[in-house]
This record gives sequence, structure tokens and C-alpha cells, in this order.
Amino acid sequence: MNRWRQLVRHRLGLIGLVMLGLALVAAITAPIIAPYDPYESVRVGIEDIYAQPSDVHLLGTDDAGEDILSALIYGTRVSLLVGFSGALISLIVGGLIGLVAGYKGGRIGNGLMRLTDFFLVIPDLALQIVIVAIVGQSLRNIILVIGLLGWTTSARLVRAQTLAVRQRKFVERARAVGASDFHILGKHVFPHVLPLMLANTVLVISLAILAESTLSFIGLGDPTVISWGQMLNFAFSRGAVSAGAWWALVPPGLAIVWVVLGTTLVGNALEDIFNPRIGRHYLEKEKPSTPEPARVPPSRVAALSIRNLSVGFQGDDGLLLAVDDVSFDIGRGESVGLVGESGCGKTTTMLAALRLLPPGGSIVAGAVHWGEKNLATMSEEELRHLRWVELSMVFQGAMNALNPVKKVGWQIAEAVRTHIPGVGKAGADARARTLLEVVGIPPARADNYPHEFSGGMRQRAMIALALAANPELVVADEPTTALDVMIQAQVMDLLSKIRRELAMSMVLITHDLGLVAESCDRVVVMYGGTVAEQGRVEDVFSEPKHPYTQLLLQAFPDLDQPDRPLVSIPGTPPALDQLPPGCRFAARCPQAFDRCHQERPPPYQVSNGWEAACFLLEPSAVVVPGG
Amino acid sequence: MHALRVRTVLPAFLVLILAACGTAAEETTTTGAGGSVTTQPSTATGGTVRIGWGGAPADLNPGLGVLTEDYTLYDLIYDSPLNINLEGNFEPELATSWSASDGGLTWTLTIRDDVTFHDGTPLTAEDVAYSLNLYKDTEDFPFLPSYLTPFVSIEAPDATTVTLTTESPIGNFEYRMPAMYVLPKHIWEGVNPVEFTNDEMIGSGPFKLAEHAQDEFVRLGPNPDYWGGAPNVEQVVFQTFTNPDARVQALTNGDVDMITEFPATAVASLRSTANVVVADGSYFGGRLADIFFNVVEPANCPTTEEGGVCSGHPALRDVNVRRALATATDKQQLIDTLLLGLGAKGLGLVTSSLSYWYPEELLAEDYEFDLAAGAQMLEDAGYLDTDGDGIRECPTDDCGPTGDLTFRLNYPTDNDEHPRVSDTLSGWWQEIGVKVEIQGLDSDALTSVCCPSFDYDVMLWSWTSDPDPESLLGVMLCTEIASGYSETGFCDPEYDELYDQQLVELDPAARRKIIVDMQRIALEQVPYIIPWYYPRIQAYRSDRFSGWQDSFPILSLEDPSSLAVIRPTG
Amino acid sequence: MSRGRLVLRKVAWALVTVIVVITFNFLLFRVLPGDPAKAGVRDPRLTPESVEAARVRFGLDKPVFLNLEGGGLFDSQYFAYLGALAQGDLGESYAYNNRTVTELIGRSLVNTVWLVLPAQILSIMIGVVLGLLAAWRKGTKLDVGALTFSLFMWSLPTFFLGILLLFVGSRTFGLPTAGRVTIGADAGFAEAVGDIFSHLLLPTATLALVLLGEYMIIMRSSVVEVFSEDYILTAKAKGLSTFQIIRRHAFRNAMLPIVTLIALNLGFTVSGAIQVETVYSWPGLGKLTVDAVAQRDFPVLQGAFLLLAIAVIFANLVAELIYLRLDPRVTEA
Repeated sequence: MNRWRQLVRHRLGLIGLVMLGLALVAAITAPIIAPYDPYESVRVGIEDIYAQPSDVHLLGTDDAGEDILSALIYGTRVSLLVGFSGALISLIVGGLIGLVAGYKGGRIGNGLMRLTDFFLVIPDLALQIVIVAIVGQSLRNIILVIGLLGWTTSARLVRAQTLAVRQRKFVERARAVGASDFHILGKHVFPHVLPLMLANTVLVISLAILAESTLSFIGLGDPTVISWGQMLNFAFSRGAVSAGAWWALVPPGLAIVWVVLGTTLVGNALEDIFNPRIGRHYLEKEKPSTPEPARVPPSRVAALSIRNLSVGFQGDDGLLLAVDDVSFDIGRGESVGLVGESGCGKTTTMLAALRLLPPGGSIVAGAVHWGEKNLATMSEEELRHLRWVELSMVFQGAMNALNPVKKVGWQIAEAVRTHIPGVGKAGADARARTLLEVVGIPPARADNYPHEFSGGMRQRAMIALALAANPELVVADEPTTALDVMIQAQVMDLLSKIRRELAMSMVLITHDLGLVAESCDRVVVMYGGTVAEQGRVEDVFSEPKHPYTQLLLQAFPDLDQPDRPLVSIPGTPPALDQLPPGCRFAARCPQAFDRCHQERPPPYQVSNGWEAACFLLEPSAVVVPGG
Repeated sequence: MHALRVRTVLPAFLVLILAACGTAAEETTTTGAGGSVTTQPSTATGGTVRIGWGGAPADLNPGLGVLTEDYTLYDLIYDSPLNINLEGNFEPELATSWSASDGGLTWTLTIRDDVTFHDGTPLTAEDVAYSLNLYKDTEDFPFLPSYLTPFVSIEAPDATTVTLTTESPIGNFEYRMPAMYVLPKHIWEGVNPVEFTNDEMIGSGPFKLAEHAQDEFVRLGPNPDYWGGAPNVEQVVFQTFTNPDARVQALTNGDVDMITEFPATAVASLRSTANVVVADGSYFGGRLADIFFNVVEPANCPTTEEGGVCSGHPALRDVNVRRALATATDKQQLIDTLLLGLGAKGLGLVTSSLSYWYPEELLAEDYEFDLAAGAQMLEDAGYLDTDGDGIRECPTDDCGPTGDLTFRLNYPTDNDEHPRVSDTLSGWWQEIGVKVEIQGLDSDALTSVCCPSFDYDVMLWSWTSDPDPESLLGVMLCTEIASGYSETGFCDPEYDELYDQQLVELDPAARRKIIVDMQRIALEQVPYIIPWYYPRIQAYRSDRFSGWQDSFPILSLEDPSSLAVIRPTG
Repeated sequence: MSRGRLVLRKVAWALVTVIVVITFNFLLFRVLPGDPAKAGVRDPRLTPESVEAARVRFGLDKPVFLNLEGGGLFDSQYFAYLGALAQGDLGESYAYNNRTVTELIGRSLVNTVWLVLPAQILSIMIGVVLGLLAAWRKGTKLDVGALTFSLFMWSLPTFFLGILLLFVGSRTFGLPTAGRVTIGADAGFAEAVGDIFSHLLLPTATLALVLLGEYMIIMRSSVVEVFSEDYILTAKAKGLSTFQIIRRHAFRNAMLPIVTLIALNLGFTVSGAIQVETVYSWPGLGKLTVDAVAQRDFPVLQGAFLLLAIAVIFANLVAELIYLRLDPRVTEA
């Protein structure tokens, strides 16, 4: 979505833009729209001093009998002038310093940053006051002082951006080719830095306007020029409060608020656009969802029984289904591999099952049966009792899945203490160390922080954590990607051992078909948010029924046939907002025919526990009831 | 913040209503609609009077004080030989009588014998003589030495007599006395007078210093052994409110019982507040606002070692230009907008408060506001706007850096009215073809461009006058150009001669005539335009204390004349 | 590098900054136009003799940096200044005769602390809690309300808020308009406390409100960032209640940037204090600075300035050290 549209959609930013626009219009058309010319001296009588708002003076008069509304309108010019000019100076000075500091780096860069730090330390208003008082209270001086003292934030920001950009590949390339620094700065670095500088500048403008009004209020403004701060200075020091003349005090103050608020809103909007942050977080209160009920009843024997699960995400234009009508079972003590391409919905399915979806995602339909309960409709309170002690998860990419400021042992012990009653601190700590040992980490390392572990160790620690409360089901999302083959084998053996000992079920989400082949009992193959095929590993891997499974297997290297060429599947999975009406795989399927593009194939039963959703099976197989 | 740098020659004087005149049974007559109360005579004592003011005393050492607030304190804590009362007349204080003898060359003061300092030590003529000599001989004291310049010797032949000798007779002995705060010799003779901070302020006055927090408050307690009768209140607290609105609000809320100054814009609302009385009068010597021009002739310019720069615009040396500008200044309008109509129209350096010396007869000769006439004056004098840009050029080539009538205008930034005044003036003068470039400067910077450097064109400022016109008239002397006392560089030998004459003229009527002649010269030559004389406006609560002396020509409620006599109501 | 060395490096750097600030301070008042000797003269007639006397008295007749004229290399204004500083002598005020700068600043500093400390504590406490709540209940009315409030506070000039509160507070509630206490009141303990409270209320409220908005916004964005970290999801998956998650995992991490930002914002606090003290005639360091500017009281200005800068440097150092303590990841300066 292009930037302009983004700005327009950003409601607050739009409001800010309108506010600023009005101010700008007032400034430009001042001679036309102001009822009087405040720079002209008129003859006034005593009754004109601090006169109340009336037809003649809509906002009353000030201490010299001048019309406040006109002064207010003309004051816009000064505020905007100071704001923009001061900010421009800050931008230029700060931008230059930041660019040089970021680009050159090293001593010069550090030196310049120390200079910036130094200026940050000096209390700015005090310094402004001193300098303006001594060099004289002219508008030009005020602009210069505000500008020259306000460059620090710009400098920091630009430097950070420049540093980041400098390391990017295209800059390195340009340097290698021998482009001059100047050229590189101008052509490559600057355009990337500019957008954020823009956002920052807008905020600097608001600061400049505030600074001018404060200086004027203290009495250091230019008395020959009408500004809102100057109006407040006159009113406050010439008895507006005791005369009850609120009209001399409130409008100029509100005018300042208007312009500063408008600028800030625009600045914040720009910052959101150029530097978008994820707006949502994991602790948001979940809206209670009432998913459509599942059509198919749960299995009696399975531990976890997922039925007709559909998961949707709130997009800009409505709900997008990431998982569409997925059903499979996990048996007790069974290990099930959940495979598919990136984005096929395998992680989302399990997150949904465990009710750990990120905000914005919700279970739209279906059920997740765990024993007698339906996890999909349980309250958060009830779920908490099940978490970790019955259902646990090893997250993908354990980089930040551990709290960086807490010791690893403590985090594991926390899980123990929370769910195993009667275990004291010492007991939990001991168990944590045991668990670490089980996954091959020396127990003494329990006192380390996560950043002191290697990537592989962190992943193993996550596994230890997941086992802390003796769960009945563990979902492992790519648990071994960071591990080397030897350790991988160790860990998988370990998991198998534990699984058998504790009759623990496991869902292994992975791309690694080999891993699935070795360690899983059953496999579920997903594509485009749906289940393509599921069944026993021996069955599915030796005689895949679904074209996608077939191609998938062909794309994977096979130790038995080292010379077989690897075939990649051309194309990409469909985008969530452009889902086809028929089979999700039809566009890439070499065996697709007309019906595939129009109708979505239901799962066909190949044999007991083996299903594939493909019309090719139509003649020989029977549709799974309720599918 | 405006109490700080008003050039005060002698800001305030000690006033004491003699015990014999009675302290009880005052009736408060009030002005204004709010709280019209005529109280029954009260005999209550005690209570804490809280007074709000805008500045704060900076020097507890009477020799060093320059601020109005400093002098307010001195008046309450010290006594001096004579006083000036709220009608502007001199009265005995420490001196029960005074007389001249020996052809006017010797003055004798008879000092009371029943006075003690706050620490119990008796006050004698020796302390008086000591103090006077201290003031006279300490050059670094900013103001007080100048009152004693004519005296060649000051002695105390016995415990109740002080003699002062001059070389030639002086016509204004009394006015030199009220600021001569008598210090305890036994404390001061052992210290360096310029470095002594005088934190205890041992004096002999009706009040004693109890506590002083710089820029916050001053707390005074009564002197129970005061020879004039102890004050009726238990405590006096002066509290600093820099913001005028806060001050006014404090009075309305009842946080203070009296405020010494407040902006004219609050008068209306205070008048309509219950239990609050607004009083107006004038300052002791009067206080004037002035607009003055740099008219120093190159021949009179002080040397560079003396600090002379003399960059004034040559056109301002032409009296026609000055007269035109005076004609383009609407004094009444300024009074209306800035002082809300309070305040008297100004005339010359001798203020209307100096009633006897005020040249009423010259009022008719003052310049009437008439923009057309002002423009015509310039036109007739040859200042024409040849290039049509609205600003007139000079008939001669020597027309300043811009080649036309563009003048620099400076004013002190510690005053709230001056930005408005310069704004307004610039508008009027623009209409007769004169442009001004306005710049506010702090008082020190202003002094350094004014005199003796004469590095300005037009300046706005104010003066508080002595009760005697002598010192303020001295600013127009040729002899004071090099010293920096003369602000305009004006020089007219006739004026200087008249000044010397009045210095030694003993007959008041004759002296008055001389002074009127001097002021006529000032009016004709117009180096100064005096737009207004400031009103003194104060306000107090009528439901706390009674006895505020607000029905006299001079208003000074923070003075012992009120503070020593007020009582709690009921 | 080791923690210990890191701490030492930070302290050393702070000291270096202090020296640079001292030198900067010294230069500032000598390179700006105007003859400082003239400001030191109290005689309004400003005779050349009195200017010279002031010049000698305040040591302004010596060379500025190094004395190459014989009389000792270090017999210069700069080293005289450093020497005096080392003994705690900040010089003598130009405006108040015979009063030392230390004396004047000392009193006003205490008054400013009386004002700033409660305001700072209040605003941090409320701001942090509000920010936390707003982040937690992101998108709800509470969040939107808090955000609007903060934005508004940010856009409102401090002095304007002060004027408004003064207007309403004094006219409607009869609260005192200036000063620290009712002077000379002979009150019992409870009344004295009540008196101090009524005087502190408006200025503290003004300053606290302004700071509050700032801290709330910072805390909120910090908390939102922390709440979107993966370890929060882990904690949630572990079955911890939201309260437990916030208390044990999120809070400390969210506080880290707050600590730094509060220290960085001290300049903002100082400017707020200057404005509040001006509006309420509060006799603190801010008002002293503004008054000293008007009176061209350079020694006091220099002293006040130096003090403010050192306070900010010190606070920054404390914040950095606290950060070091809280975050075990930091290894680089």
C-alpha cells in the first residue's frame, strides 16, 4: 500500500494534517480573514481595555485594547515561521552531523556522538534563556537559538539510520565499485534516511513552537512581533487573571495546543508509517469467540481430536482464513509429524489448538477435543489449568522465547512450581537442573542467562522447559533446526524415549520429511491451510496418494537414491486473500483437471486412518463422513 | 519585576505620625464601591499583617540599598533626623528641632534623649554624627553620599546636638535628612561598611527584623520600647509575589492584607470585591515616565576615556524635530490605555506631587496632540519625504546612518508598559514621517548605551523624584554630561546659571521663580517628553486591620505611617 | 568487558563530561557580548572608576586562559575559576551585595527539590501504572483515553497549564497563589503540614501533570513492545496468569527503557520547573535563573547552570548504572 494511502487511512494523522492545514491557511490569509490589523495602532478608550467578547470583538480585547482574534490569526504566522525555520536548521545541522557520524563511524563518529550526548545534558530551556537574553530578543535570534540547540535528536536518529543503511549490501557494492563517499551518501544512504528524518522533523517543529512560546512567555520574545507566547506574556504580566479576562489567556494557549497537537499527530503518523511496529501484543484481552461447531464428532480413542478447524485473521479488508476445515487426530503416546511448505498453516493450526494464537487471530469454526473438553470454547481461566501440565509447546526459533533477563534454570523451575503443587523452590530448582541434564546441558548452566547459551543449547533448554510439568502432549515446532545432526539425533532419541516412558503424545511440526520418517508414527501433510493427506508414515511415504505429497517426496533427497534428481515444485501457494474456489493445489498440480479448479475435494478414505483430499481418488475411495 | 531598576533618587521616606498627635481613633475613609466601612475606634492589638509586593530587598545595609524594597525596610527599622509626611511636609523625628545660624553656614540639630537601639544601647548625637559622616565619606555607597556633599564637617559636640557646616548657604537642608538612617556606631565602627551585610539590622525604628529569606519574605516584629509608641501589631510580613495576578488574587483570597502595587487593569475588579479597598495617591516625590532624546553636541561629547561614543542622530539636535515629536505624542491616550485613566498628565521633570514647585502655570505651554501640526512642523523645517517611502529625509546631508529620520528607540525590559508605549509611539510617529527601530535592553545595558556614552537616539525610562526638585533638575546640566548623570547631553549655559542660583537661594518664593524659569527652558527645548506621572495605587482588606492612612495626597501604606498605627479590626 | 570495568568506564566518562561542562560554562559567559565588569557595578552612574574597581574585584582583569605575562602561568581567570570551584566557591553575586553564589543557590536548590521531587515521584508512579494499563488494554477506551490525555498534555505548554490551574485554583478553591508557606503563622504541626500542602499543591500538580503525559506514553510503548516479545507467549503457554506474567516477566523488561528515558528527560523536568516556578513565584533554582538573567547576575547564572548540568549528568550516570544492574545482557559501553 503506498505511503500516501497509508497516511490517509491513519485517522489520527489525518486529523493532525487538517489541524495543521487550517493553521497554515490562517497564516497565509491573515490579512484577509482578520477583522483588524493588529500591527496598526488605533485610538482606544479605557473601556476598550480587556473588553469582553462582543460583536465588535469576537474574542474580546487585550490589555492594549487590541482585538484578540486578529492577533491570534496573525500570531499563527510567527509560530509557524519559528517552528518551520527552527526545525529546518535543526534538521540541517543534525542531519549533517548524523550522516557523517553514521557513515564515517569510528573515532569521528564516536566523537560526534559524544558531542551530541554533551548537548543533551545541558538543560535546553536554561541555555536558550541565557543566550537569547544576551544576544538580544529579535525573532531572528530566537529562531537561530532554537534551531542550533535542537539538533541533537535529529543527529541521533540520522546516525542510527545511516549506520544501518551503510551495512546494507548495495552500499557495500557501491563502495567496492569505487563510488565516492559523497555519491554514496547522496544516492544511497540519504533516500533511505529521509523518510524517518521527515517524521522526526515534524516532531522537532512542535518542539520549536513550544520553545518560542515559552521564551516569549518568560519575556524573552521579540516584543515587536505578535506571537501567541507574547500574547500570553502580556496578558499574564498585565493582570488578565485578576481582571478575569480569560479571553486574553485561553485562546492563545489553545492556539499553541492546536498547532503543536496537529504537528505531533502528523509526526506520529509518519513514524508509524515509515517505522511500523506491530501494534498488537500477546496479553490483549481475547474477545470471547463462538466458533461454528464441528460437523464431525470426535474420535473416542485419540488424545487430541481436531475437527473441522478453521482459523481466521483480521485483515484490512476482512477475515482471512489461514486454516480451512482441518481435521486430524493425535493418539495417546503417538508421534505425529505435521508437514508442509512455509505458510501452509501448520504452526497456526497447532497454535490455534492450544489457544496461543497472536491477537487478530481467532478460531472461526470447529472443535479441538482434548478428552471430554473442547479447547476451542474453553475460557482462558479453565485453559490455564491445562497449560503446560497437559499441553506444552516448544516454539519455533527459540531465540527470544526465553526471557533474557531471567536465569534459564529459574524459568524452568517456574514452570515446575506453577503446576506441581507442593514442590518448594529447592525442589523445583533441582528438577530444573535434572531436566537440563536430560537434554544434554550441564546442570550448572542453570544459573546462566539465555544469551550465554549457544543457539543449540537454547533450543534444548526450550525442550527441557516443555517437559518440566510432565505434559501429556507436546507440540514441537521445528525443534531441531538449529542443531547439528549428531545432537539432533540425540534429542530426537531422547524425545522418543520420554514419549514411550510417559506415554506422551507429540506433534512434530517440520519441513524435514526425513525427520518425520525416522521418528513419527503418523504424518499429516498440509497445503494452503488444508490437509492434503494424512496417514501412517510407512503408508504415506511409500505410496503417496495426493499429488502434492508425491511432489514433496520427490523434492526431498533420498539416501537410498542419491542420484535421483530433485524436483522442485514450481509456483507458490495461494495468497490468503486470493484463495481459489477449488482445490488449493490445483494451480500447481500436474494432474489437475477442470473439477479441481471449481470444487474443493473432500477427504477420501484410502484405508483406516489414511486419507487424501483429491478427486483422483474418487472412483476408488469413499468420502470420509462429515468431511 | 519592575521594582528593580527604576532609577530611584530617593524612593521613600520615613514618616511617623507623632505620638502626641494620637494614634487611636482613626476613621478609615474608603474610596470605591467595595467595602465602604467607617470603623469605630478600635483598641485591639496583635495580629500579623501580611503585605504582598512584587520585588524583594536585596541589601540590608542602608548604605548600599538601591531598590524601593530596600528603602521600605530601612524606613521601618531605622530612624533618621527628619521625616517627610504624607502631605509632603518635613517633620521632626530624631531631631526635635533644627536651625541655621552663622549666615546659613551652620545647621544645628537637637536630638532626642529617649531613644534606644533595638539591642538596648542608647542612641545619642554621636551615633547621628557618626552615621552622617559614614555616608558622606564612603564613596562606594551609591546614593546617600550625594545628599551630604555640601557639608564640610559634621560633629556632635554633646549627646543631644549635631552641627553641620557648609561653605555656602544651601536652600534645601531639610530634604537631605530623611534618608540619613542612623546606625549604631558601636556596631558599625568595627566593620568595613561596604562589605558589611548587616544581617541583624539593629536600628532604632518602630520595627525589628525577625527573619529574612531572600526573594521570599521579610518578617518584622514590633519594637516595644519605641520612643514614638510601640506598634499595635504583633508581626509584619512582606511576601514576594513576582506575578502581579498572583498578588491580586492573594488579596482577594485573604492570603495577604495589603498589596503595595498591582496593575491598573485589576482596579475595576478589586473595587467590586467585598472587603477590599483600593486607594490611590502619588509617590513621595512623584514618579514620572519619560521619553528623552540624545541631543549632545559633538563639542560636548565626553572623551573616549570617559566613555563617550555620541552616535546620536543629528536630526534630533534640531529642536523643531523634537517639538514635532512632542506634538505627535498623545499623552492622554497613553494614560488611558496603559494606566486605565489613572495617573496625571506629565509636564516636566518637576512632578505634580512636588506641589509647591510644580509649574502649573506652564501647563498652557505644553504641546497639544496634533498629528497634522506635527507633520507640518517637520515640513516647514525642511524635512521632506523626497523618495516617497513614508520617512522624511533631512534638509542637510548629515542625516544619520539611514539618511532619513529613522531613530533607534530603547527601553528597559523590566517594565511591563514600555513595550506597549514604544509600540504606540511608533505608530503615531510613523504618521508624521518618522520611523523607529525598537529594542528592549536590560537596565544595565541601557545604562551603558545611555550615559556617558550617548550611544542611542530615543529612550524610554522613568524616574522617582526626591521631594526637592534639585537633584532631578541636575540631569540637564552641562557639567553633568561627562559624569554620566545627564542622560540627554542637553547643554544650555543659561540653565546651568539658573541652577546655581537656586542652589543658594534661601527664599522659597524666589527659588520657585528660578525653578519655573528653568522648566520653561526645558519645555521649549524639549529634550524630554514627560507623558505621565504615575499614580500610586495600593489596595488593602478592610476586614482585617483598620487605620490604613489612605486619605493623604501621598500614598504609602507600607510605611510606618500606616504600619505603626493599624490595629486588628474588632 | 567485565561489569566492574564497565562501571568504571561510565563513571570516568561522567567525570570527563563534568569537566567539559565546567569549561563550557566558563566560556559561555565570556564569549557572549557585553562587558561582564559593567554588570558587576551597582552604581547606576557607572563611572569608569567603578567599572575598573569591579573589574579588579571580580578578577576580570586577568587574562582568560593562560597568563603569559609573567605572574605565574596559571594566574588566569580560568584557573582561578577551577581553583575556586574545587573549594566549593562559586563566586559572589553581582546583584546581591556580599552574598555568595553558593548561599543563594543552596537555598533555592532546596526549594526546587521540594517541588520537583514529589512531582517526579508522582508522575513516574502514575505514569508507569497508567502506561501499563493502557498497553495491556490496548485499543480499549482506557487506552484511547490515556493516549489522548497524554498527547494533550504534551502539546500544552507547561506555563499555560500553570496559569490555568492558578486561575481556577485560586479563584474557585482559594488556594494560595505564591510562596512556600504562610509566613509567620504560629501553627500546630498538623496545620503547618496542611499549609505546606496547600502551597505545594498547585505547582506540584502542574509539573506532575506535564511529566505524567510523557512518562505514560513512554511506558506504554515500552510495555507494548515487551508484551509482543516471544517470551511472553512462552509465559502464557506455560499457564501463568496475566498478572503473574506482568509481574515476573514483563515489568522488569519494560522498566529498562523507562529508567534511561527518565534520566534523559531531566532536561525536560528542568525546563518544566523553570516555568512552574515563574508562574507560581516559587523561590527555586528555576526562578533564580530567570531573575539572574534579567539582572545580568553572571556569577549566579554560571553557578545555577553548572549545578543543573551536573545534576543531569549525575542522574544520567545513576540511570546507566541502574540499567546495568537490571539488564544482564549489556556488555558494551
